[in-house]
Amino acid sequence: MFPGATTDREAASYVVVGAPLDATTTFQPGTRFGPDRVRQFSESYDDYDHRTASRFTDLSVHDAGDVHPWDDVSAYLDHLAAELRSVVLDDAVPATIGGEHTVTYAGVEAVDPDVLVVLDAHLDLRDDYAGNDWNHACVTRRALDTVDHAYVVGARTGSPAEWERAEADDVTVVPPEDVGEWIRSMQADGVLDGDSAYLSVDIDAADPGYAPGTGTMEPFGLSPRELRDAVRAVAPHAGGVDVVEVNDRDDGQTAALAGKLLREFVFTHAATRRD
Amino acid sequence: MPREQKQVRELQEGSYVMMEESPCKINHYSTAKPGKHGSAKARIEGKGVFDDKKRSLSQPVDAKVWVPIIERKQGQVVSVSGDDAQVMDLDTYETFTMRIPEDESLASDDEIEYLEYEGQRKIVG
Repeated sequence: MFPGATTDREAASYVVVGAPLDATTTFQPGTRFGPDRVRQFSESYDDYDHRTASRFTDLSVHDAGDVHPWDDVSAYLDHLAAELRSVVLDDAVPATIGGEHTVTYAGVEAVDPDVLVVLDAHLDLRDDYAGNDWNHACVTRRALDTVDHAYVVGARTGSPAEWERAEADDVTVVPPEDVGEWIRSMQADGVLDGDSAYLSVDIDAADPGYAPGTGTMEPFGLSPRELRDAVRAVAPHAGGVDVVEVNDRDDGQTAALAGKLLREFVFTHAATRRD
Repeated sequence: MPREQKQVRELQEGSYVMMEESPCKINHYSTAKPGKHGSAKARIEGKGVFDDKKRSLSQPVDAKVWVPIIERKQGQVVSVSGDDAQVMDLDTYETFTMRIPEDESLASDDEIEYLEYEGQRKIVG
């Protein structure tokens, strides 16, 4: 169980769902262990959050366990989307722990937002990878079939075709060095006001020095504090969230960061509801 | 009660099932991979036939659920008043008033089909 996620399903405002998909990882696998790693390395966090003056255990979070994957990725995503949609039908916010990034597609299908904000080192705008439409490197491209606009925040690498796709009107790429300014302008100019959003945190958006336990490390990334600020900025607009691409190839620092960001989301989102 | 029991595995998209005591039409049916030590679970999504409310259900595929027996009947429009139509059932000649669906426009003498379940009725075309 995610620490502090002690509320019953029926009464929950946030439902944590593990989605340990590890089918299309292209370099270092291990995302099948992601949900349990995140739960394990979130054990040490204090229940009380000083900034929002709230306790995690008071925020009506339920852990629904894992939706175990099988080898048909498309069928799994369809089923996962149904599981997450049931959370949305109950007026709760689904909080998915991946699993490879592909699981974001199920979250987007379930929440059906206007806008996808994805914190990611990679553009993930490939039409296919090695002939597979459902490879984790294609997830933002697939999500654009559902959402009106995608913000890829912290992106610093992609293929020529992906950079070309990123120039279209429905994609905004925010490179790492501009993330701070983007967050400030988003809050000042109300960039997401009036839009429903879905937030996906690919942990490889962080610099691998902070988060080495991920499948496809990419240097020159974001600091944990920049990720935290981005999560805080998007959370009030978001109807769903995921943290993905955590694997077991480090000493827990990546899972610890992912778990902390998930908690930041819940604390901020709940505080906004309270206001 | 006009309902029957079925196993979850017998359900399919387009058929009916009771969810939260309301008859619903299934618009999504998917099953998870069976665990090593358990039966597969199905996730069913549906929409209330008479209240249009979306609902969701998760059950093992060998669990039993209630399926409502919804009758499809023929009727003839007697008169139209605002959003309501007075309709005569073509089998029983019983007349009653029904709300006209938003995307339909009806006139006197039109023949319609409607669904009936436990006194609830809905025009379907």
